[in-house]
Amino acid sequence: MIVSTLIAVLVVSSIGAALAALLALSESYIANYGECRITINDERELTVQGGKDLLSMLTAEKIFIPSACGGRATCGLCKLKVLEGAGPILPTEEPYLDEKERASNVRLSCQVKVKGDLRISIPQELFAIREYRARCTRIVDLTHDIKLFRLELAEPGTMDYVPGQYVQLLAPKYEKNSEEVYRAYSIASDPAQRDVIELIIRLVPGGICTTYCFEYLKEGDEVRMNGPYGEFHLSDTDAPMVFIAGGSGMAPIRCILHHMKNTNSRRKAVYFFGANEVREMFMMDEMHRFESELPDFRFVPVIAKSDASEAWDGETGLVTDAVQRGLQNASEYEAYLCGSPGMIDASIKVLLDLGVKDTGIFYDKFA
Amino acid sequence: MKQSPNDAHLDAVLRSSALVAGGFMGDDPRRVMEVVDADAGALFGLGVTTAQVAQRLKEITERATRGLGTWVEIDEQYEAMVDEARGLLPCPWPHEGYYPKRVTTLKVVASGRTFRWSDLNIHMIEAHGFFEGKGSAFRIEPAEIVGILF
Repeated sequence: MIVSTLIAVLVVSSIGAALAALLALSESYIANYGECRITINDERELTVQGGKDLLSMLTAEKIFIPSACGGRATCGLCKLKVLEGAGPILPTEEPYLDEKERASNVRLSCQVKVKGDLRISIPQELFAIREYRARCTRIVDLTHDIKLFRLELAEPGTMDYVPGQYVQLLAPKYEKNSEEVYRAYSIASDPAQRDVIELIIRLVPGGICTTYCFEYLKEGDEVRMNGPYGEFHLSDTDAPMVFIAGGSGMAPIRCILHHMKNTNSRRKAVYFFGANEVREMFMMDEMHRFESELPDFRFVPVIAKSDASEAWDGETGLVTDAVQRGLQNASEYEAYLCGSPGMIDASIKVLLDLGVKDTGIFYDKFA
Repeated sequence: MKQSPNDAHLDAVLRSSALVAGGFMGDDPRRVMEVVDADAGALFGLGVTTAQVAQRLKEITERATRGLGTWVEIDEQYEAMVDEARGLLPCPWPHEGYYPKRVTTLKVVASGRTFRWSDLNIHMIEAHGFFEGKGSAFRIEPAEIVGILF
């Protein structure tokens, strides 16, 4: 009885081992796509070993496509046109592609597996994106869940960017994270300091990159990032402006205000910044300083609820209510918004009601 | 309890940090189906279904969203706030479905005690009966949340 049981176990184990070996062998043949050519903008050709996703292959060639989720099809940022060779759209891509994009062969590059030759189109401006090494030289607590990270660039030593743009910061492997991922953060620093990038980051519970920044990253550590990315920037007009932001949405607005100061901008601007309570307000002195440094700038901090124990003589309520109360003759204004989708949507509604043209509303949505 | 290959794969996905830092299982040594079964038992004992819990969480999230990131009064006892971050999270179960990185925090005004859940939590409770493993960042104790919501 025991012998026959042992023989049965041996036979089953042998069959299993043989099947595993067969699978490994077949994978090396079947999944071996050999050398594939990626033709970019009908100008440049890359020869790569097939089998990986297009995004990571381009990254390996130092061509950086925006991506904030590490290739998991959860951010929808890594879109580019794959004109030939991509195969059908995957279910993972569908939520991010509208009809127009599908018709013009837009794909999520993280979901396109390179199995043969591809012809792709990449916007020229993306070729200017570089990878940077930097040292974290300062971490400042701004509120209980928002910190400022000062990163001094090492290689390359400077970055040229348009105020309002963002970088992608690398979260390396750490105790709670098993693989490297990139996340997008707006640049908050003074663009005149080309060798420094400052980021304002809010802790996302369970967030892979923010957990790294808040719990693991220390002053003196080296970090990697790439960039700059993004279309959020000041228009080239003289129109008066309204900025609306909350929390870490302060970052691109602060950068833009520095830029306005550096360029002696005379544009009229008002900045509504919302927070829950007084202790969640930050950089108030700096923002009020801009009021004296810029010829026509007003900073309007708004807290949702004032506590009797805290001194507050500013605006209270929702930031959108303060905009409604504080903005007159808004039809000539341009609006620049940075914050959560809910805040952006509510702000757009209020701004349209106030007469701001929809073509004059620009935003950086956290989505 | 025996574990099917699919359950074993799911268990590995939930323990990994592929989607959230530290994974969905925390330091819970139980298998995912044991966690689901134990929580289902607790809910049954309380006379509440996962659908009812999910519905109540959705209602609070919807109301709190109107606060644009500030505290909103739910009733005399509770306030809630919604925070949003960039991107979407896919459900770790093998089906399509992406959820905004939106976190609702519910505060008991008298004690200051808080409970939080994400949009993905609501889906995982509603569709999979999963309240996350003990020790995870977003574990919801069924007995506690039922005591608060109903």
